[in-house]
Amino acid sequence: MAVSRLILSISKTLLLARLKQSIVAAAGVTFGIAMFITLMGFMTGLNSMLDGLMLNRTPHVRLYNEIKASEEQPINLSPDYAGEINIVRSVKPQDDGKEIYNGPAIVKALRADPRVLGVAPKAVAQVFFNVGVTDLGGSIHGIEVINEEALFALSTYVPQGNITDLENINNSVLLGKGLAEKMLADIGDVVPVTTARGQRMNLKVVGYFQSGVADIDNMQSYASLATAQKLLGKTNSYLTDIQVKLYDVELAPELAKEFEAKFGTEAVDIQAANAQFETGTNVRNIITYAVSITLLVVAGFGIYNILNMMIYEKMDSIAILKATGFSGKDVRNIFISLSLIIGITGGLFGLLLGFVFQLLIDQVPFETDALPTIKTYPINYSASYYLIGIGFAMVTTFLAGWLPARKASKIDPVVIIRGK
Amino acid sequence: MGNTIIEASKIVKYFHDPVKVQVLKEVTFAVNKGEFVSVIGKSGCGKSTLLYILSTMDTDYEGDLVFDGELMRSKTHNQLAQVRNEKIGFVFQFHYLLPEFTVLKNVMLPGLKLAKLGPKEVEQNAMEKLQMLGIEDQAKKQANQLSGGQKQRVAIARALINNPLIIMGDEPTGNLDSKNGRLVFDIFKDLAAQGQSLLIVTHDQDFAEKTDRIIEMDDGRIIRM
Repeated sequence: MAVSRLILSISKTLLLARLKQSIVAAAGVTFGIAMFITLMGFMTGLNSMLDGLMLNRTPHVRLYNEIKASEEQPINLSPDYAGEINIVRSVKPQDDGKEIYNGPAIVKALRADPRVLGVAPKAVAQVFFNVGVTDLGGSIHGIEVINEEALFALSTYVPQGNITDLENINNSVLLGKGLAEKMLADIGDVVPVTTARGQRMNLKVVGYFQSGVADIDNMQSYASLATAQKLLGKTNSYLTDIQVKLYDVELAPELAKEFEAKFGTEAVDIQAANAQFETGTNVRNIITYAVSITLLVVAGFGIYNILNMMIYEKMDSIAILKATGFSGKDVRNIFISLSLIIGITGGLFGLLLGFVFQLLIDQVPFETDALPTIKTYPINYSASYYLIGIGFAMVTTFLAGWLPARKASKIDPVVIIRGK
Repeated sequence: MGNTIIEASKIVKYFHDPVKVQVLKEVTFAVNKGEFVSVIGKSGCGKSTLLYILSTMDTDYEGDLVFDGELMRSKTHNQLAQVRNEKIGFVFQFHYLLPEFTVLKNVMLPGLKLAKLGPKEVEQNAMEKLQMLGIEDQAKKQANQLSGGQKQRVAIARALINNPLIIMGDEPTGNLDSKNGRLVFDIFKDLAAQGQSLLIVTHDQDFAEKTDRIIEMDDGRIIRM
């Protein structure tokens, strides 16, 4: 114990005696780690923003009802015509349309499922917005505002207006931005709407919705579930879509099949719905990993070089210490603790500097139509990069101290002395 | 037997770089307790090389070295460091003080490493040694602020800190002017009078004449002892 304190005090004296050199070495660590943290936070921030553009808005599993004719025609069920070849022409689908049969019960069952993070039911109505003498086609998505917000962060795409007004104000609508511009509709205006079946209704505009995808913004609007059901003239059990978010997105394909079988509806999972998007995400992730590894390797070599030089400069001291009775192990420990002090102080300042850089980037304006609520560049402040950063600083400085010190600890002191 | 500190038998040493040269040719001799021995010889005769082997700082040799009744060949590097720490005080031609530390700390370090005494006692001992050598007023200075003669005296104080069995010196006066050289020699003489064993390599004939025993070397062999 006394000896290890002695060794620490020796390392401290060696460091303080050449304070400028020590600071330069620590600064090397600081910048390496700061750059790593900054870039990782920036890159992954951008990546998750891009992913979020699509994936956050997409349910992991979507249950719906495909409009199609029944495969079992009555004649096939009749025992009189069994074994015959029955041809029925012009088969039409039944009139229950897109409605999910027994929707509320399915929602209830899904909410009880431990693998399910949340469920947001929807009733979609095809409508015409009447602007003077013209009709604009579009759809109104009746949603449960609280669930939609919790699962898909709807308010992120609402630059103006308040989504809770959808529930609070009767017969209100959140207009797509493109649609609102065509209709010259301001917040507070009332727009007339006609359903495909001819029902008319006046809806009050409580805000705009802007997804960044022009086709969607020109077509899609939101209303409360009750408003949509009323518009369609249906009961409050009428649902056309059930959107499910899972705890583990990887389970989506499997669960989609399971739900399909269990509830007798169609189910599509996020991987199937967005296959091309997955590829983009993967490519971006590979780029991120490559950059991070490159950064760490470059920073690591920088740190290693500086510390190596520092220790070779102190070879004399190693020889003297060994001549006066310090063992190879003592010498090694002195230089390892010296390196680690540099690594830890440099690394901690690196974390701080990295955080400051991240804050700075977070202030840089970044305006995009795609994400109306994002005003500056996105940063991922994930603690894991800070942990990797400080861990890496410690490992590289340890190696940079350990490798040359190990070599020095093994040779006879006279070899160093005679080399003078 | 108990009276012998160093017993070297048939020590052979080669230098390998750039060509293989035999520097020591079966050197055999012994140093007894309380002796003040000087080793003289021409430059390059192998006397410093021999001293480094005897001080355990060089382990690349053939032959047997028995130090204080123990065979050194069988010891690990760490055990040899222990031997150097506890039983050998070494004074180099150049002082080899650690410039980063104060004079006092330089003297104390081997004592702190030995850790037989607490830091307080080691410090007290170090001050006593410095006092004995007449440089106690320099104790708080950085090692590189001292003159050559003072540095060499600090190095002697450092060699003495653990009360070693033997002090070894590699031309300890070689780098000093005659006045400081005489001063250092007088210190050695005083130590010898107190019963301290010393083994000093020198090329200074006058210095050697005044020691108890002279070992003269030539071309890797002992020619007089």
